[in-house]
Amino acid sequence: MAARVDTPGLRAVSLGRSSRIWFALLGILMVWGLGAWIYQLTQGLIATGMRDVVSWGLYIFSFAFFVGLSAGGLIMASGAEVFGVKSLRPLAPIGVLTAAACVLVAAMTIIPDLGNPQRVWEIFRYPNWSSPLVWDVIIIVVYFAFAVTDLVVMHRRSMEKTKRLRTLRILAYVGLPTAVLLHSITAWIFGLQISRPWWNTALMAPLFVTSAILSGTALIALVALVAQRFDRFELPRETWTTLAGLMATALAVDLFLVGSDYVTILWGNVPRERAALDLILPGGSWQWLFWLEWLVGGLVPFVLLVTPRFKIRPGLLALSSVLVMVGVYAFRIELVVGGMIKPLLQLPPGNATGSYRFGQTSFQFQGIYHPTWVEYGIVVALAAFLALLITIGYRWIRSFERAGAPA
Amino acid sequence: MAVETTTKRWGMVIDQNRCIGCWTCAVGCKEINNEPLGFWWNRILTASPGETTGESSSTVADPASDSIDVPHGTFPDVDMAYLPVACQHCEDAPCVKVCPVDATFRRDDGTVLVDYERCIGCRYCIAACPYGIRVFNWGDAEQPVDFTIGYGKDYRTDGRLVFTPDRPRGVVEKCTLCVERIDTGEQPFCVEVCPVGARVFGDLDDSESEVAQLVDDGGATQLLPDLGTKPRIFYLPVQQERSV
Repeated sequence: MAARVDTPGLRAVSLGRSSRIWFALLGILMVWGLGAWIYQLTQGLIATGMRDVVSWGLYIFSFAFFVGLSAGGLIMASGAEVFGVKSLRPLAPIGVLTAAACVLVAAMTIIPDLGNPQRVWEIFRYPNWSSPLVWDVIIIVVYFAFAVTDLVVMHRRSMEKTKRLRTLRILAYVGLPTAVLLHSITAWIFGLQISRPWWNTALMAPLFVTSAILSGTALIALVALVAQRFDRFELPRETWTTLAGLMATALAVDLFLVGSDYVTILWGNVPRERAALDLILPGGSWQWLFWLEWLVGGLVPFVLLVTPRFKIRPGLLALSSVLVMVGVYAFRIELVVGGMIKPLLQLPPGNATGSYRFGQTSFQFQGIYHPTWVEYGIVVALAAFLALLITIGYRWIRSFERAGAPA
Repeated sequence: MAVETTTKRWGMVIDQNRCIGCWTCAVGCKEINNEPLGFWWNRILTASPGETTGESSSTVADPASDSIDVPHGTFPDVDMAYLPVACQHCEDAPCVKVCPVDATFRRDDGTVLVDYERCIGCRYCIAACPYGIRVFNWGDAEQPVDFTIGYGKDYRTDGRLVFTPDRPRGVVEKCTLCVERIDTGEQPFCVEVCPVGARVFGDLDDSESEVAQLVDDGGATQLLPDLGTKPRIFYLPVQQERSV
């Protein structure tokens, strides 16, 4: 086992010194993020880079990204049960674990984004049923409860085997529509808004479902690869090829949907719709998002995943998994910021900044967003918490398997 | 003191032929509503006549002028109009639809208001508003002076706090149509202070009222009408005969 500090993630599941370093690292990141959040609570959201024009930022990208990551559980569980893909069955416990952990962290990511986090309970007290946000909160709660139930049933030794398998099968069938709803409703937070042409497309829900399957599968592949390397977690070769195939397919469908949207906007050539796309296409000031999405997180992993020689090599599969996650995150950024940075009505001098510093104008003349250290700190801490949940959960699952409980 | 709010259907007409872009309504609004530094509920955009409003729609309108007081077009074919924009008090308001906790709500008389004690600060309404008129309290509000100006006290309607001079952190705010004034029979402050009488306020249901007549004449248009938000603020675009 390599004892190098630059690969701490790979030691997540090993015992002894290296896992202590891993937990210490996660602990430091979480304490740092908690500190950043406390600082933000004392200052208000002025501590972030968000202002009235781009009023959603890193927290919302990350929220949408974490929601997407949670898709993996459903795919592994329902892939085995509903679609009869037997090779995915060994991954079901890890899948359901990541689903529960990701959706929990996604829900937590919303809290620092709120101006009044202490009032969050009002969503349950005075729900406005026409708001997609209310439905999203409900589906997140349901999905989390569902994933935890699934995880418990999988590892309940007192339950008779045939009964457990039947329950798991039912859960897989219920889980499928629940997960599709989770990603669709999250997409509709954006997709239903007439005021943001960049968001207002019927493709949004299919896009979210696809990118969720893509990033969720990538996360599971990554966790399984780490486990294989450091915990003698063995998977049949067939499982790896299924994972690679699933990722390649989801990636192709994802880029197809994004591309369809581009073609529609380009051909129509409607100024208000072109505004956001022109920023992202090559030559625009945000073209780095295009390259991250289409090349770094698109073409490169796609080639790695479909070339027979490459797709069975664990190192390259891990690389592909990381790259597609980068691509999916880039999509989240271009979605949120692209939708907000070019409002329908002119900016100068149309939008107040919402804050004032001496010597500055009180209008925003162009949409600006630069996340601050507070935002980075909190989001990194949330990612660290996610890693911690998965590490602890994985050990819990393995402790059952070692004790002889079938998964 | 709530006075027959249910019997009215408040609306406003802004005559772009008259507007001289002096910002008196914006400054008056800022003052009466104790808007903190950096906040503007009401702004005067520089538009092209009949382009941002009127026959054009959000699907075809070019982005408006890039600067304040700068005409559109190339010399000598230049033109310019002013477009004061505050909350449009839409009948089908996207902000009301998206607010998860009903903090943004619409009264029976059509005024769209924000409950300062309910808002959780998710800013979904800012994302949903096509007119970009909402302002968020990112940090502690700073007032330009340390003595009370403007309305200067809390105002509640149906028990809900819809105006307070001491802005709580982390809530969204916007034009209230001067709810505290219209409830006592006064005009919104922007209407009262406009030096050229470009703004007309009244009950759209009262066919005798000037505002209803201007709207019924057919010349009045709304901002981004194709979005179907049905604003209660109407504009009389430049080059239109004013019939009153």
